[in-house]
Amino acid sequence: MQTSGNMKWLWLAIGAVVMLALPQLVTSSFAIDILIRILLFSFIGVAWNLMGGYAKQLSLGHAAYFGLGAYTSTIMQVNYGISPWIGMIAGGMVAMLASLPIGWLCFRLRGPYFTIATIATAQVLMLIFLKFRDFAWGAEGTTIPNLGSAPLMMQFEEKSSYYYVVLGLLLVGLWITHQIEKSWIGYYLVAIGEDEDAAEAIGVNAPKVKRDIYMISAFLTALAGTFYTQYIYFIDPATAFSFSVSIEAALVSIVGGIGTLWGPVIGTVLLETTSALLQSWLGSSVGGIQLTVYSLILMAVILWRPTGLIGFATDVYHRYVRRKPARA
Amino acid sequence: MWETLAQAVINGLLIGGIYALVSIGVTLIFGVVKIVNFAQGEFVMIGMYISFFLATQFGIDPLVSLVVSMPVLFLAGVLIQHFLIRRVLGPNDMPQIFLTFALSLLLLNLSLMLFSANYRTVHTSYSDEAWHIGGLYIPVAKLIAFAVAMALSGLLWVFLHTTDLGRAMRAASQNRDVAMLMGINPNRVFAVAFGTALALAGAAGSLLMPFYSAYPFVGQVFVLMAFVAVVMGTLGNVMGALVASLMMGVAESLGIQFVGADSGLIVVFALLLLTLAFRPSGLGARRGR
Repeated sequence: MQTSGNMKWLWLAIGAVVMLALPQLVTSSFAIDILIRILLFSFIGVAWNLMGGYAKQLSLGHAAYFGLGAYTSTIMQVNYGISPWIGMIAGGMVAMLASLPIGWLCFRLRGPYFTIATIATAQVLMLIFLKFRDFAWGAEGTTIPNLGSAPLMMQFEEKSSYYYVVLGLLLVGLWITHQIEKSWIGYYLVAIGEDEDAAEAIGVNAPKVKRDIYMISAFLTALAGTFYTQYIYFIDPATAFSFSVSIEAALVSIVGGIGTLWGPVIGTVLLETTSALLQSWLGSSVGGIQLTVYSLILMAVILWRPTGLIGFATDVYHRYVRRKPARA
Repeated sequence: MWETLAQAVINGLLIGGIYALVSIGVTLIFGVVKIVNFAQGEFVMIGMYISFFLATQFGIDPLVSLVVSMPVLFLAGVLIQHFLIRRVLGPNDMPQIFLTFALSLLLLNLSLMLFSANYRTVHTSYSDEAWHIGGLYIPVAKLIAFAVAMALSGLLWVFLHTTDLGRAMRAASQNRDVAMLMGINPNRVFAVAFGTALALAGAAGSLLMPFYSAYPFVGQVFVLMAFVAVVMGTLGNVMGALVASLMMGVAESLGIQFVGADSGLIVVFALLLLTLAFRPSGLGARRGR
């Protein structure tokens, strides 16, 4: 398959050039803002998809790790003056550690009750940060001191710099997913996702595999939390542990194509573009319109195309462009 | 001290009755149809808005509008089961979880668009009435809501245990395949279970209206309680859900009384996490499933 391999590299190179040039071509700050949102939620979706997509552990509590990442780096920066670049990694570590007890509790349940337990853990963390004002400012939250241009403190004057940071995060997430996808752990995850009992019966150590992938997923989600706080210069429990982060992480993956490398990215592009268009047509005057449309898209995907947009595109491709060889 | 404690327990039991209606619905759907209805709280919200509009437009007492909200939501449940849920039943969790979750998001945000985020209240003649019994304070509206909720739960129990359809539902929840072999029509049983569960949610909404505000997010409060109660009371077990709901109400109320006004939920979640840690299959579980 030499040619198809070359084609792949060609497409990747074109994609890389476009992605690198994009912020130079787009000058409107509204548009760059949307691009950053797309990259950020793609990245969160990619992190969710590792566990939710491949192993089908459908969490609706990833805001827990988003918030832990955000709070760790912010506390380190505001109280001790430590750079968010270090805080970001520290936040990832904190999220990994937190995922151990949370996973220990939640993985006792399967299916929908796992989902409910994950919602509850994110809510508990939010309540804790709301209640204990001594170490994290309580409900008012805090603003991040603006240092102007300070790349070492993850603060930039140009919005395009934020774009490159989050693009880098997304590439790391995609690379990790790609590595996992083609390794034995990827196959283990898919086996667990298909049928956990059967996977265990053939020798997959399901609890260990789930714990490990949950740690990786939590780590990556926490990085997104740090980035987001630095980007909006503000943190409070309601934004850091927002349920809508958990929802969007799952939504973009499902709409794009659950358990696929590019699914979360494609899903985010569709959902965020829709939301931006709605916003520019209707303004933000009509509350609830964005999530109304999201939920309709989600229902349509589940009822008609459970494999998401990627599945839909492959079906169309095989139907009209290149016939799939008949399965044996 | 004892009076404060008794008062907190009474407050908790009274609101626990409403939690019970919601969690019995969740557990009924889980038991029979084998899915978790994430949208259950939104049907409580719809029940509240039905009662609110009947009260403000036609002056109908919220307790009387029970006879509207329950049938309307029963019908809605049958239709939702027939046109949506039926299409995703199968071994795969993902479509089931996210279909009802999408339904919840849709209803919540539609009502946000239609009714705005404002709090709506209905004031009835008994909204502010209360009985004072030896230093204890018992609000009449909550007492009525509790009594009706218990009566409805009792009726459901009688229905499940004495009628053919009720027995068919219990059979389907114990073993769907064998029930089908015995000639039980699963689609009919599922539709009735879903409709009944939604009717209970609608009843909870109407019963809440004399003393609770309606707003688009109101269902979230109740559905969280219901999920915790259902996990604690063993999935699919109606009696377990009822007892656990009353316990949740009391736990929340004690949390508010003794830890702080915003700590009710922390106590509830702590209970959930403890249950998961030590009795993951619920308090009423027999060994094995």
